[in-house]
Amino acid sequence: MTGLRTPPDTGPATPPGDDFAEPEAAAQAIARKPGVRLGVAGWLRWGWRQLTSMRTALVLLFLLAAGSIPGSLLPQQGTNPAAVSQYYSSHPVLAKVFGGLSLFNVFGAPWFAAIYLLLFTSLVGCVLPRTLRLVGSARQPPPKAPRHLDKLPFSASYAAAGEPEAALQAAAAVLSGKRFRVRTGPGWVSAEKGYLREVGNLLFHLALLGCLVSIGLGGLFGYKADRLLVTGTSFDNTITALDEFHPGRMVSPGDLQPFTVSLSHFSASYVTSGPLLGQPSAFNAAIRYSDTPGGPTKPFTLSVNHPLVVDGTRVFLIGHGYAPTFRITDGTGHVVFSGADPFIPVETSGLTSEGAIKVPDAQPQQLGFIGVFLPTAVDAGGQLESRFPAPLNPMVSLVSYAGNLNMNSGPSQSVYSLNTSGLHRLPIDPRPLSVGQSMKLPGGLGTLTYTGYQQWVSLAITYDPGQLPALVSGIAVLAGLLLSFFVRRRRVFVRAEATGSGETAVEVGGLTRSDAAGGFEDEFSSLVADVSGQAAKE
Amino acid sequence: MPVNTGLADVSNDFLLAAVVIYALAMLAFACDFAFGKKPVKAAAAARVPALVGVAAGSGEPPASSVRAGDGPAGGGPAGGPAVVTAGRKGVGRWVAAAVALVCLGLTAHITGVVLRGVSVHRLPWGDMYEFVTALTCVAVAFFLAAMIRYRAYYLGLFVMVAVVLVLGLAETVIYTPAGPLVPALQSYWLAIHVTAMTLATGVFFVAAVAGITYLFVDRHARRVAAGRPAGSDGILRRLPGPEALDRLAYRTVVFGFPIWTFGVMAGAIWADRAWGSYWSWDPTETWAFITWVVYACFLHARATAGWRGRRATVIQLLGFGCLIFNVLVISLVVPGLHSYAGLT
Repeated sequence: MTGLRTPPDTGPATPPGDDFAEPEAAAQAIARKPGVRLGVAGWLRWGWRQLTSMRTALVLLFLLAAGSIPGSLLPQQGTNPAAVSQYYSSHPVLAKVFGGLSLFNVFGAPWFAAIYLLLFTSLVGCVLPRTLRLVGSARQPPPKAPRHLDKLPFSASYAAAGEPEAALQAAAAVLSGKRFRVRTGPGWVSAEKGYLREVGNLLFHLALLGCLVSIGLGGLFGYKADRLLVTGTSFDNTITALDEFHPGRMVSPGDLQPFTVSLSHFSASYVTSGPLLGQPSAFNAAIRYSDTPGGPTKPFTLSVNHPLVVDGTRVFLIGHGYAPTFRITDGTGHVVFSGADPFIPVETSGLTSEGAIKVPDAQPQQLGFIGVFLPTAVDAGGQLESRFPAPLNPMVSLVSYAGNLNMNSGPSQSVYSLNTSGLHRLPIDPRPLSVGQSMKLPGGLGTLTYTGYQQWVSLAITYDPGQLPALVSGIAVLAGLLLSFFVRRRRVFVRAEATGSGETAVEVGGLTRSDAAGGFEDEFSSLVADVSGQAAKE
Repeated sequence: MPVNTGLADVSNDFLLAAVVIYALAMLAFACDFAFGKKPVKAAAAARVPALVGVAAGSGEPPASSVRAGDGPAGGGPAGGPAVVTAGRKGVGRWVAAAVALVCLGLTAHITGVVLRGVSVHRLPWGDMYEFVTALTCVAVAFFLAAMIRYRAYYLGLFVMVAVVLVLGLAETVIYTPAGPLVPALQSYWLAIHVTAMTLATGVFFVAAVAGITYLFVDRHARRVAAGRPAGSDGILRRLPGPEALDRLAYRTVVFGFPIWTFGVMAGAIWADRAWGSYWSWDPTETWAFITWVVYACFLHARATAGWRGRRATVIQLLGFGCLIFNVLVISLVVPGLHSYAGLT
């Protein structure tokens, strides 16, 4: 659609002849004529012409851009569901309106799909006829030379010795030597070059369609999953073992590649001095994996730009955090909890993390704790805060609850927060604990010991069969763009006439069909020099 | 490797020097408008066909002439934005001084950017501050090339005003001390993706300046054509016609658009390597897409009857607005995967 079909700058009065302006104008003329009745076919044709007009394509492009804006400014269900529910609780009325308009899921919204499907239909409507026309024009020889070449945007004349036929033959030889398509007639030669421009233009638009199809492929047959993995533990790539699983429409549980991953060790490095204190400089997760369940395991170091690839499925390191470890005995003296409990970072400069511990097996009452973990706890005016993301002084501070955790009824709960509706807060201050310290719960409800911490990583597991097609389409988009921008379609005409004094007057005219890249003037004058030089030699 | 803070400080000094020198260049360009000799009106000069002798090979030299580009646009020989001042050597003293200052400033600017890279042992466009210093460097270099190739000296004042503003802002508001890259950015794709984005932004920057200038010149030309009082036209009379500016803006966008496309695609490939998905509608990605679509609108609009000229230029500026919004607002304010600005 970017191609110009007329020579540049024929003035604003002349329509710059995109292929679509004419049928559009014609269609409007029909539609507006009073008394002319259009049948169903007529209306369909009119609608199709409207849809495939450049103006409509422009409007749809604008709509596509404008429609994307809410997707970037409002939290999106796909990327940040927590922020969406946050939005619902802080702006309930507005959120309901936005939700009704699918503004929290813009890129999956029916109206957004309508825009891009219409745009691509419009594009097909543009591109198909043009492909046919290109095939037609590629078969046809260049047009006859116009009578007055000096009226063309580029022209030159010279006198050559010898017959006009000889001069024309020489010109034709030069032009076909420069890979122009040449046509000769009585007293003239016409030549054309640069068909690749239109080819590039078509390639660009077809490749855009290819991108859309590739994205669709990924959406149908691919999947995305997340899994949080604490050091020393492992998981299988099965639906039940994944924390989050977003399958494509055509993915069934049996399609998941059956590999196992265990986390041996995670290390993070941070800048330890200067103004960027605390900025991370490296994350490395030492893992072992096997591509078949129960098979031999292989070591691998996972880092941020270095995913693990197993059977076409890829595993990415996308986050990390701390899981403080606790040992909890209940009122009857039994150990009811022993292990790591992942906390979620709430800020990045000190990795202060929050989490919840749930002990449903505790007797006589169930126990629950809401906690804050501070990797490098520093007393800042009576308030503890974390000043560095590495665990230099890891402390934990807990608020204790007892009662009913409501874990067997009601909606499913997040493991990182506590539903306190059935719980009562225990009368004990949230005293910060250092590793090894214990906290005795009042009322003989038990004891909690903060035994240390583990690190965890969050992994993204993705499979996308549309990846390679998307890459190929992307390269084709770029190639098409470059061809259509930088190849110039141009015509050169030569006319020769005997002057009567034994000499031949030769006229050369040139025409280019795009103003994207300048420089035809240089090519033209060098062509003229070649043609006249050739004529002079013979 | 530790950050060489001494070198980083020297880099800052060079960049500050560049701002000051650019400001002086800006003044020199302004002085040219104020005190320089009035050029022969460009359009009148362009109508005179340039006669170029074509050297023939051996044998008798045929009398020949090439008349190129005396097209209906009247924009200048060969339709390029090139010839806007009439004289081939008629560069005024002020312009000469300004160009010399731009060269000097660019040298300081490049030195500053390179030293920053050396001090942190990596490519110097890893945070927002570095990105802005690098992209203004590209804009100035591109402008200098366009100025020499097309003799587009008239744009100097406008480009320099914008560069001084943006670079000044970078040095004061979004300055970030030199440091190592966060792990997410430790990839050779940084060199590919961010370099392409920096280049394209620098090129679009020049296109936007040409576009704004076009709008003023075009309004002036319309007023004159309508016979209405055109007001003070001291500067406008020294600028090329609207056609030449429009063409310069268009060609600049045509140069920048494939680079932008490539940069977005390289970003997608990197996203695929780093996050497992080549497109996840992250706010910055979304605005890069919006920018791409709006520039695509511009390219289509320019090929559509009734949209050329003012409307198309407005679309082009809208595209640049989206780009700037992405750099200054989305990357800094809206949380997303691209939040590397180094500002908290």
